[in-house]
Amino acid sequence: MTSLLSLDGIAKYYGNIIALEGVTTTVEAGEVTCVLGDNGAGKSTFIKILAGVHQHDAGDVSLEGDSVRFGSPRDALSAGIATVYQDLAMVPLMSVWRNFWLGAEPTKGRWPFKIIDEAKAKSIAKDELAKMGIDIRDVEQPVGTLSGGERQSVAIARAVYFGAKILILDEPTSALGVKQSGVVLKYIVAARDRGLGVIFITHNPHHAYPVGDRFMILNRGQSLGNFAKADLPRDELVQMMAGGAELDQLSHELEGG
Amino acid sequence: MTATTADAGATAPASDERLAYRGLGSRMFVRPEIVGILAAIMIYMFFWGVTRPFGSAGGVATVLDISATLGIMAVAVGVLMIGGEFDLSSGANTGAMGIVIILLVKETGELGGAGLSYWIAIPLSLAIALGIGWLNGWMVEKTGQPSFIVTLATFFVLKGLKLAGSKIIVDQIQVGRADEGSHYGFWQKIFGSTWERQTHIWEARDGVYTALVIVGGVIVMLAVYEFVFRRAKTLNAAGLPILGAGLVGIGVGTVLFHSMDGSDWLAMAVVAVSALAATVGFGTWRFQRHTDRGALALTPSLIQPLGIGAAALVAGVIAAIGFDAADDSDIIPFVTVQGLRVILFMSLIAIAAGYVSIAIYRSRDVSVATKSAAIGLAGVVTFLMALFVQSESSSQKFRTELFGVLSILALILVVWAVASALFEVRRSEDVDADRLARRVATIGGALVMAGILVRLLFVIQAEIDAGNPSRLAVFSVRIVWFVAFATVMSYILRKTPFGSWVYAVGGNKEAARQIGVPAARTKTQLFMIVAGAAWLVGILLAFRLNTIQAGTGNGLEFEYIIAAVVGGTFLTGGYGTVLGAVIGALIMAMSRQGISFAGWNTDWRLVFLGSILLVAVVANAKVRKIAEAAR
Repeated sequence: MTSLLSLDGIAKYYGNIIALEGVTTTVEAGEVTCVLGDNGAGKSTFIKILAGVHQHDAGDVSLEGDSVRFGSPRDALSAGIATVYQDLAMVPLMSVWRNFWLGAEPTKGRWPFKIIDEAKAKSIAKDELAKMGIDIRDVEQPVGTLSGGERQSVAIARAVYFGAKILILDEPTSALGVKQSGVVLKYIVAARDRGLGVIFITHNPHHAYPVGDRFMILNRGQSLGNFAKADLPRDELVQMMAGGAELDQLSHELEGG
Repeated sequence: MTATTADAGATAPASDERLAYRGLGSRMFVRPEIVGILAAIMIYMFFWGVTRPFGSAGGVATVLDISATLGIMAVAVGVLMIGGEFDLSSGANTGAMGIVIILLVKETGELGGAGLSYWIAIPLSLAIALGIGWLNGWMVEKTGQPSFIVTLATFFVLKGLKLAGSKIIVDQIQVGRADEGSHYGFWQKIFGSTWERQTHIWEARDGVYTALVIVGGVIVMLAVYEFVFRRAKTLNAAGLPILGAGLVGIGVGTVLFHSMDGSDWLAMAVVAVSALAATVGFGTWRFQRHTDRGALALTPSLIQPLGIGAAALVAGVIAAIGFDAADDSDIIPFVTVQGLRVILFMSLIAIAAGYVSIAIYRSRDVSVATKSAAIGLAGVVTFLMALFVQSESSSQKFRTELFGVLSILALILVVWAVASALFEVRRSEDVDADRLARRVATIGGALVMAGILVRLLFVIQAEIDAGNPSRLAVFSVRIVWFVAFATVMSYILRKTPFGSWVYAVGGNKEAARQIGVPAARTKTQLFMIVAGAAWLVGILLAFRLNTIQAGTGNGLEFEYIIAAVVGGTFLTGGYGTVLGAVIGALIMAMSRQGISFAGWNTDWRLVFLGSILLVAVVANAKVRKIAEAAR
């Protein structure tokens, strides 16, 4: 059986700088693959390769068994890889439904009377959000009036609706409070249950562990390993993320200083 | 709850119980152009009061004429600003396009023209204009510099080209004789024809006008009821005969009307009673009656605004009586005694109206009975004001027009008081009712507009015989172009995907691009729309003036921006409407014309404009804050 997406020994060099090397993991449909790493670990480079912003210099990316290489974000999107960036790509002054459909508005009529089918657009937006368990009060309200978690959820629902097979979430919980983070984790599970392969990028093992099926830990551009949930107790994940030996060293320095 | 609300919930997927229902008033209040509309009404009333020709057909024709070219550009520039960019070359471009079209049609040889037919010159010049717009957009995108700077460069280049080019080609700093081109006559009809009111006599005018306005007004009123009141579970047919009788009565009263100067007491009484009957009948048929009206109470929160309102009213009346209505001498520099009288009277009345509105707004929280009483009281006082104006004013315009407007306002208030005492106000969303009401209101509004148009465009023999020069009015075809352009742009902005993209690239360009909006293309197309508008204005100027100065249009770009901003457009992009820009243009045209009618030095216009801009920007920001909180 071939994986939905598999990465084998991916590497990316910027001149003589090794940004990423020897990264291997898989993403299955209906599973969540968590990519964990501290600042500078290579998470952004990892996302950009999958989203088509950069191209990998070594290794192999294969989508449903076929080796692929994305030349642009549009390529990745049409291959079914949707990325929800940290800044969410939303227009705050525009309504929820207009944001939901932005760039792909459903139309009716012929040119020059080709207009947005507002009734359809609003009801689909409302339904899609509801399917993700997101209950927006009014699809006419501007996105700027939503809370951070709600905005995140609209972005996720949008990616899911527009035919994504793989959803990449870049630090969706980092700017959120405890409760809001919980809400976003629920949407991640909802997307997974709808059969998407989810790549959840975070530096918080406590957010990753409850939803993840597979964990890949990045440190200084290298993969520290690729684990299934069964092989990795929570404490060990936390320990690895915190940098284990490094943390001991740090506490020694701070106390000793 | 009841079956109606359950039904409404089922047919209205957009409604949600967590949303507090927003009434018609607050929904109108959150529109971006609300400050512009209020300012336009106030400025109209001000100049209507202080100058004689303002508000006459001739005055309206002039104001519309000025606003047309300004407004076409203001709409285009406003849409560009919504898309987050500026075009400082837009003003200079209008003159440049006028020069280009004249040069294309002038005879060859020493006259320096290209000798083309208008049939070729018009599309060719449009292509040149779109090319300039494309170039603006391309440069902004390629350089990544602010459009403010890039188009400033284009502005100077165009300004220089106009001067240097006309000196080289025709050895003058003006380019003239648009009428020498071939097929001038045909195109003159399209871009330069006029409608002279005094040559269009239609004796039935006043009858048609009155009928259209009253029928339209009644329809609008019924639509407002539909917006505001809660539908009953079942329709009660017993109301229909009363409604019918009321409508017939309004018709009979209208026919009885012969003048608006308040001498037709019988007709007025018939209309008033019929309007009440129609309201009660309509409401009985469709709406839920109040079960509990609550007690009449004068709470402290009401005493203060009512007291200030009454004081302002009394002060206004005293001011009107205290100053001599015929005294033409200056009391302080620039202001005559009679002018001060009008200013004091109108501003104090406006203050009174404001405070009474506050009282009515607050009375909603006290009880239904109190609210109705407050509205009814306002209606009665308005009617007393109408009588006062009619008996007291020396101005013929006040005695007839102001009396008429105030009486109608009084009637609306009284009828409203009765309706709100009888029927329950809607507290939840009803999408069906809203849709129906919007359609009905559009029909009614169109009828009223048609009525006003009939009154503006035609003349009756009696007016010609009276020989009043202010009745001379010339409407030019550029007004039609203005309305058509604004309508098309508004449609594009609200209804098409392109319109959505314009708001998106103005609101958050990076986000729009990431998500698949062709941001660069959208912005370039916006610059091309502005240039296309400049082309249209250039042609209108060429057919009007026949000769275009090299400096024509230079410096007007800021007036376009001011018009858009006064109409509620964000300077930073992502927010605004076409209607706002139209209203901004009307405000600027009214202030220019009003100041010249008032006989003041027209340089004061600039002072006036600057003040309006400042006030509008501050007020817009304030209203927007309230609006965002209200969402």
